[in-house]
Amino acid sequence: METIEFILVYALILGSLYLLMSLGFSLVCGVLRIFHLGYGVIFVLAVYGVWMFMNDLGTGMLPALIGMFVIQILFTLGVVYYIIVKRYVEQEEILLTSLLLVALVIEELINHLYPVTAGVNIPTTILSGVTKVGAATIPNQMFVVAALAAMITSAFVLFLLKTRWGYIIRAVSQSTRSARLMGVKVERVYAVALVLSIIPPTVCILVISPIWSIEPYLGTPFLETAILVSILGGLGNLRGTVIASFIVGLVASSVAFLINPRLVGLAILVMVFFVLVFRPEGIARSESLW
Amino acid sequence: MVRFEHKRAELVIWLGDLKLGWSIEPRYWRNPLLGMALLAMLPLAFSGRPDFLTLITTANAFACIAMPLAWQMTGTGRLNFGPQLFVGIGGYTAALISVHWGWGPWATLPMAVLVGLFFAALFSPLTTLAKGLYFSLITLVLPLIFLELTYYFTGIFKGETGLFGIAPLVNLGRIKTNYIVSAYMSLVLLMVFLFVVFRIMQSRYGLYAAAINDDEEIAEVMGLNINVWKVICFTITSVMIAVTGWFMAHYFGTFAGVTFLPLPFMLKILLVVMIGGRGGIYGAIYGAYFVVILEKLLTVIGPTSHFLFPLILLILLFVLPEGIYGMIRRHRYREYYPTIRVRRR
Repeated sequence: METIEFILVYALILGSLYLLMSLGFSLVCGVLRIFHLGYGVIFVLAVYGVWMFMNDLGTGMLPALIGMFVIQILFTLGVVYYIIVKRYVEQEEILLTSLLLVALVIEELINHLYPVTAGVNIPTTILSGVTKVGAATIPNQMFVVAALAAMITSAFVLFLLKTRWGYIIRAVSQSTRSARLMGVKVERVYAVALVLSIIPPTVCILVISPIWSIEPYLGTPFLETAILVSILGGLGNLRGTVIASFIVGLVASSVAFLINPRLVGLAILVMVFFVLVFRPEGIARSESLW
Repeated sequence: MVRFEHKRAELVIWLGDLKLGWSIEPRYWRNPLLGMALLAMLPLAFSGRPDFLTLITTANAFACIAMPLAWQMTGTGRLNFGPQLFVGIGGYTAALISVHWGWGPWATLPMAVLVGLFFAALFSPLTTLAKGLYFSLITLVLPLIFLELTYYFTGIFKGETGLFGIAPLVNLGRIKTNYIVSAYMSLVLLMVFLFVVFRIMQSRYGLYAAAINDDEEIAEVMGLNINVWKVICFTITSVMIAVTGWFMAHYFGTFAGVTFLPLPFMLKILLVVMIGGRGGIYGAIYGAYFVVILEKLLTVIGPTSHFLFPLILLILLFVLPEGIYGMIRRHRYREYYPTIRVRRR
């Protein structure tokens, strides 16, 4: 009975974490219909951007956060959108390769400026200490992650369902051509979607950074998780992504508690492999974002 | 009796009664032969530098992965994001057998081919089951699954450290000779692959591959059994990549999944294909040498090379979308030029 309790609590917490990691990726998948393979770099820029402002320029937390967001937006619009996505959206082999390369350039640059030994540490702890659930201990910060995941996802859904921009984004996700015929400036929607996709991963990495190991290459495992969750959720369907992240969380926590923690990565990969082969449309087959 | 004769635009070589002509006018030169002669001279030219010989061998091995991959992308009409899976399968088969049973490279080769064939046949239905982006994603996931397996069964695969003590490819007593002979062996492998892939792409089967690449449905309407041809193409090319894995395992003497299976190695292979000229067979060789030499040149300037290397490749990708070979082949526009499309309409 206790084991089931652990599994469920951990499924909830890991699921929220996965949701925050993959929400932005899924949004880009749904609207632009591309694989944003440079998504991992958002996590890296978030942590090291704040660190640069606080450590090198000596600013406080709030100016650092604002500065980091400005850098992220400039990078996403200036490099990812105008230089790569806008030019090569139809030539996917160049698009995917160059997105991977851009991510690699940034990661290597950051590794050059701030090697692992730089000891990056950002004071974003909101709830310190741990909570005991039966025999398991969970850092309180993880509950903040769960709460933030719920808040950001609801904000995204409300934005998509209730606002004019949400309607436009959903229209583009349903059919780019029809949306263009109706007078939507599709390129502008692409840019907005790319900028919106920065928010969840940035919040995610900033909140978990006190309890996570921070190094310049941390983006790759996050990107892999985001890809897996998005595939499972049906490539760019946010409802599917929400369900998929909790399924992945449940599988991860069950495998970790019942079989062997080292098998978690393998179990998720095998699950995604079979989903891709036998149900490629994912959990929620839908032509729209929600 | 060898005689040379100069005739208008031709140099005629008489070997007894056998007449061999070589056109002097550049546009009739046999570029592949010239290129191969140049490649064959490289190991001798750098015979005193083991690091350069390793570089040449690595470049040849990269080309040996990129050429079958180029054929596979044409023949299945899909972009494979995980060719390194078969490098891993071939390499680990050779490494495990060599380390545990003490077999030499020539004994492990048939085993690497057999195991490669088994897994290639096992995964080949994916080319008919999965379409477009889904195929790319599945092939992206497969090597990562294999990597996780090597970590989990670390007793067998030695996940993080890798297997070492694999029988060397050649052992002629002198280290220098070993390096040169290995470089020539990689060149022989490259030439065999080039010959096979080139002849097939020139033949009727190459036409089938091109038809499948252009439009599967039309190819099927025209009476082509596309499923069979895609499966055959995937299987043969995967076995060829597994053979390259076997070569790398015996050449380096160690084999670690963590070197070959993660995304950075795949990115390098993808770059060889893209920089060389998408889907071009000869382009793969240009691309492989270019990527390997660029990486080596940049090590001179120190740690900044780590981000300059991808940056230069990125700029090249923008400036030369057809790759290096694309500049040359613009003059040969009547040849079939395969297109790579991830998502088809």
